[in-house]
Amino acid sequence: MTLASPQFLWALLLLPLMWWLSQPPKPRRQVLTAHMQQWQLAMRALRRRPPRGSWLRFVLLALATIGATLAAAQPFVASQPGPKRLVVLLDASASMAAESVGVSAFEQAKQALKMQFARLPKHIEVTVLRCGGELRRRHGTAARALQDLGEPGGALQVDLSELAQQTANDDCVVWTLTDGQGSEQLPSMGALTRLDTRGSNAAIDAIRILDAWPLPALRLEVDMVAYPAAGLGDRVSAELQVLGATTDEQRYSCSLRSGMMLTRTVLIQRDKRGGQLVVQLVMADDRLPADHRFVLTLPPLPAPRIAALAEADAATFANAAASALAEEVGGEVVAITSDASVGMLLVDGGLVPLMGGDGLVAKRRALTFGTRLTDSVEPELWRSPSPLDWSRSSPLTVGLDLSELRIDRAWRGILPAGEPFLWRQDGDLREPLGVLVDGGDTASMHLAFRLQDSNLPLLPAFPQLLRRAFVRSYGEAATSIASPIVSPASERDLSVAAARDDRPLPDFAAAEQGLAQWFVLAGLLALALRAFVR
Amino acid sequence: MRGKLTLPTIPEPFPKEFRSLLTALLATRGNIHSGRVEQLRARRSVLSQSGTFVGHRRYERGDDLRHLDWSAYARTGELFTKQLQEDDRRAVTVVIDRSPSMLAGTPPRRLAALRLAAVLAGLALARVDGVSIVAPGASNANARFTGTAQLPQLLDHLKQLPTVFVPPLTAVALAMQAESVGRVHWISDFAPVQDFSRPLLSLRRRGANVAGWIPTVPEDEAAPAGGYLRIVDPETRAELSVPVDRALHDELRRQLVLLERQQRRMFAEAGSPLWRWDQGSAEHPRLADYLPIVAACTR
Repeated sequence: MTLASPQFLWALLLLPLMWWLSQPPKPRRQVLTAHMQQWQLAMRALRRRPPRGSWLRFVLLALATIGATLAAAQPFVASQPGPKRLVVLLDASASMAAESVGVSAFEQAKQALKMQFARLPKHIEVTVLRCGGELRRRHGTAARALQDLGEPGGALQVDLSELAQQTANDDCVVWTLTDGQGSEQLPSMGALTRLDTRGSNAAIDAIRILDAWPLPALRLEVDMVAYPAAGLGDRVSAELQVLGATTDEQRYSCSLRSGMMLTRTVLIQRDKRGGQLVVQLVMADDRLPADHRFVLTLPPLPAPRIAALAEADAATFANAAASALAEEVGGEVVAITSDASVGMLLVDGGLVPLMGGDGLVAKRRALTFGTRLTDSVEPELWRSPSPLDWSRSSPLTVGLDLSELRIDRAWRGILPAGEPFLWRQDGDLREPLGVLVDGGDTASMHLAFRLQDSNLPLLPAFPQLLRRAFVRSYGEAATSIASPIVSPASERDLSVAAARDDRPLPDFAAAEQGLAQWFVLAGLLALALRAFVR
Repeated sequence: MRGKLTLPTIPEPFPKEFRSLLTALLATRGNIHSGRVEQLRARRSVLSQSGTFVGHRRYERGDDLRHLDWSAYARTGELFTKQLQEDDRRAVTVVIDRSPSMLAGTPPRRLAALRLAAVLAGLALARVDGVSIVAPGASNANARFTGTAQLPQLLDHLKQLPTVFVPPLTAVALAMQAESVGRVHWISDFAPVQDFSRPLLSLRRRGANVAGWIPTVPEDEAAPAGGYLRIVDPETRAELSVPVDRALHDELRRQLVLLERQQRRMFAEAGSPLWRWDQGSAEHPRLADYLPIVAACTR
């Protein structure tokens, strides 16, 4: 037994004082008697006891004092040598999702950890490192609870063997739980639990999406690969399935050769309501379902109602543009009424008060040609602006050829602040002729000239410009389909894995055992006994 | 609880005033009863190694087996003890208790006991042939004095008796070994009673004529009035710390009365008298306080 605070033992010097204080007062007068028996009988008759000190009471009080003093001195039994830390290297790479009897290897590893942690002494410091995919570190209680370790995914980005070697020391034990996939060799230090994930696997390597939004056509190019288990031959049959948010679910049978990529193009018609489109490659005895099934979230298709506003002499061009746009995006041209709800406003000339007093354009999906947005601005006629140039990076004009564009007249001062995509180049100076006003989920495009004052409607790029303006007016996110995250190639072949025999955890250090509570208990017991001693 | 105990010293037991008083007391007409030894040859049977056979009596438990008459047992089948008649003349035997318990009292009971022994022995020297002072533990445990001329030696002997605890049974046995026993005057506090009951019966069984004397002290009558006292038995060194109040005072007084009754009953059962004597003033002894001794001795 060792004392952490032996200075408290000085309190034991109080014992003689306690002994002195525990004694009854001494009589000052002594009387000799030959009748001691009569004195005793008289005392007994009156049921009286002489005041006296009790050795037993003092001993019990002394024991309580000694117990309290020793408890204050913090006695403890020194710990036994051994490691006091446990670092768990938990392989959470994609291959750990391989299932056996419906339970993934990752879940098996977590169950093994839970069982071991339940037996682990509380004083052992535990750290869990999720290796693979997103690296996560959990320590202490969170580590023992395996809190938020996520699901297996991604590649094993660390060398478990080297990490174990760097981490392990006399004070720290490393426990590696892995299936051996993606590792050249398994750790030679510390404990090792190898989970068996060997088996067949078919995976979708990549999905390329060509989206005709807002049209429902969707083209998928799916790269597939399969790794049959040893003994199953070089070729396996699989079925590519496209299910969910499509008007016609499709299934294609494939014959995959081990390790060889096969690309399949699938054309589907999207469901206008949007939803989840499931692309999966189904193969018998596939142990790793995580990499052969992808879910694409498709946004609902717009149902554009296009309204055209134009000055009386420009109605022909505006209506033609609206019709062309409706045809391009599958929408319809509607008339302007007071209660009409439109998805896109196409304006040619005139005055439409889209700009507020603060100089900002209201959030509307609009495409204006030579239109004044506020009556507070007096436009300046701008004749034959040239030379003209356009943005090669703007989503509106990228890839379009506007070199043949001629503008007879335009107006300065009618464009709001925005991102120019068409301008007159004057040396280094750019005078915008077309701007994009981005309002987040909406956007509007404004040009400084009317259709009838240019040859824009006659250019081949005009329908495409209209379509891009329409698409852009729905914001950036409307058309995006999140590309699926595919598992790394190194995690697919389950037929090969590094091997090494399992090693159990060593014995950990025994904790220092505090004895203070026992001394307190002994002291209280002595005091309790003293209450019964007279 | 036992502690260090300092026994009180006894003042001079026989000062000049007492010696004068004793001389005057012996000049009185008082006699001392010696068990009819002076007038007749004793017919009593006592335990003795020699003497004249005078008869039998039935064996009683405790009798010396050496005096069993085996011939009578052969004839009758019953046990008989041979009774022998002493050849010597009888005198007076004074057995004085010198145990530490006699030091209790104010003044100590032993002072009165020594003076009482002096008076009894003086009377015996003056009236009968002699007196034996039985003091077990002393250098001369059984001292015999004859004639009034030995009165000074007697007083010196009494004065020099040490304080020593001797069990009453031992004292009795020593007294019965005296050359001539006569009447036995036993001076003691006779407390606790049970320690003296068996020796007294033993004396009685052996035919001794016993008279008990208790020199009284004020503490025999009442307890201290009050205070927190350490009561010590000087004989056993037993101690008792007691706060004395009225209730305890009264209860102790009741216990002392009971003790006195037990003492009287013990002597009554033995067929012997018990006298309690108060010496009065210890510093200035008065003749009147000593005359009751002479009166008791002549009864």
